[in-house]
Amino acid sequence: MLDTASFVDVKSVEKTYFTPSGVVHALGPISFSFDRGQTVGIVGPSGCGKSTMLKVLAGLEDRTRGEITVQSRNVNGPLDDVGVVFQKDLLLDWRTVLENVLLPAELRGRVDEKIRTRARNLLEELGVSGFENNQPWELSGGMRQRVSIARALLLKPSMLFLDEPFSALDALTRDKMNVIVQRLQMHEEVTTFFITHSIAEAVFLSDRVIVMSDRPGRIIDDIEVGIPKPRTLSVREEPEFIDITRRIRIHFEKAGVL
Amino acid sequence: MTELRIDNPSAAETEDLAEHQRMVRRAKWLKIYHGSLLPLLSGIAGLLLWELAVWGFALPQYLLPAPMQVFETMIDRWPVLMSHLWYTVVASSVGFVIALVLGIVVGAAIATSRSIDRVLYPWLVIAHAIPKVVVAPLLLVWIGFGLKSGIIFVVVFTFFPIVVSTVTGLKSAEPDLLQLVKSMRANRWQTMWKIRIPTALPHVFSGIKIAATGAPVGAVIGEFVASNRGLGYALIQAVGSLDTPYAFASVIIISVFGVTIWYLAELVEKLSIPWHASQR
Repeated sequence: MLDTASFVDVKSVEKTYFTPSGVVHALGPISFSFDRGQTVGIVGPSGCGKSTMLKVLAGLEDRTRGEITVQSRNVNGPLDDVGVVFQKDLLLDWRTVLENVLLPAELRGRVDEKIRTRARNLLEELGVSGFENNQPWELSGGMRQRVSIARALLLKPSMLFLDEPFSALDALTRDKMNVIVQRLQMHEEVTTFFITHSIAEAVFLSDRVIVMSDRPGRIIDDIEVGIPKPRTLSVREEPEFIDITRRIRIHFEKAGVL
Repeated sequence: MTELRIDNPSAAETEDLAEHQRMVRRAKWLKIYHGSLLPLLSGIAGLLLWELAVWGFALPQYLLPAPMQVFETMIDRWPVLMSHLWYTVVASSVGFVIALVLGIVVGAAIATSRSIDRVLYPWLVIAHAIPKVVVAPLLLVWIGFGLKSGIIFVVVFTFFPIVVSTVTGLKSAEPDLLQLVKSMRANRWQTMWKIRIPTALPHVFSGIKIAATGAPVGAVIGEFVASNRGLGYALIQAVGSLDTPYAFASVIIISVFGVTIWYLAELVEKLSIPWHASQR
């Protein structure tokens, strides 16, 4: 029964902030749905409410109007099995790399040898093995972000939320991270919802790209990316890829944000 | 230090090696020179100059005693000075511990409840704005002569930096980090223990260090006004009878006590938050 319905269903969701200085309509109304295992990328101009959408979808912030269902369950409050990665890695300086990755298990009182092995395997898959007992500050920015991805995936969440996870990294590291995340996403079969400023990154990683307008954020396009996975970085030079990035760029040009 | 060595060196390399060893020796010497030798020499020179000036200008002892005179006085009256020191140490430490507990509790209440914050804030601002020294004579009126007054004055003196640093510390966790642990379904208690308190510690310690150095100052001012024991009292007594060497001896002991407390606080800080950027 669950398999016939969409994995995530968002219906006319809106978010409005009421502050002493007035009403800020940040998002929507927005409606879309997507299936299990898909990677959905969101691109849009700064301040268009992308992050708000992610937080509302993950149940971290309340919505003002509308309905969200995940696996046919109504979302009210934080979802139970999600992993979140923000632009900042948000590693805790007072814990070693391994202890940082184990945090979600620890918060649920579920640290055992099995979960430790899982943490080590994730770190290895992300190319950070051998640093388990280091302190976070001894790692480079790219490595820190990989640790925070391992932390997000530790408990095998059914959904992964990434909020501009690679914005703070240099171009080369960013390319590398794209390849790693694609591999991991396929391996872990985790439904992924991610926000980015980079059109190329969105197209490279996603099965679907949702293009948002300026604030209040609305969906102005919803594009299937049919390029088979796994993709190599050189796919970005293919005509099929370029067609899609051009289509997105035209939206932004029309909206006057580029 | 590892020795510089090249296996089977050529002539040019041997020359390089000798040169490198010279440079390393020079760096070691400079480290000692700047690190301990120069400050030490400066200290000795200063004392010497002071001693010579007192004898050279034939200054009377009550105006400016020579370092040797101060030293002699300190030795002669060591037991009395130590008993005064003990009194000051007790007043400082008991007052400091009370302020620490009180400050952290009030700080935590302010940080966790906006209403408590708003209610207490104006009072704290006003209380903090009052020059604390003027409270000392009032304490004499309210509480009377003795140790209790001294302790309370230390509390008044050290409470504010601890409250302020606790509030700042507990509020300084990043909003995104709090949302992250919310997504991991952390409850309030876990968020407090695993995120907020560790984040707060570096801030709290800067408050503690300010308070720790303030504690002996508070105790001494308290003893100026409302005590017949302690180093503050000894100082007043010495100045009153123009026994300047004794006054200097008291001041030196107060200072040594202050420096000791500072290093103690630093040590505890180092052991508690070795992970913080300031300690790496």
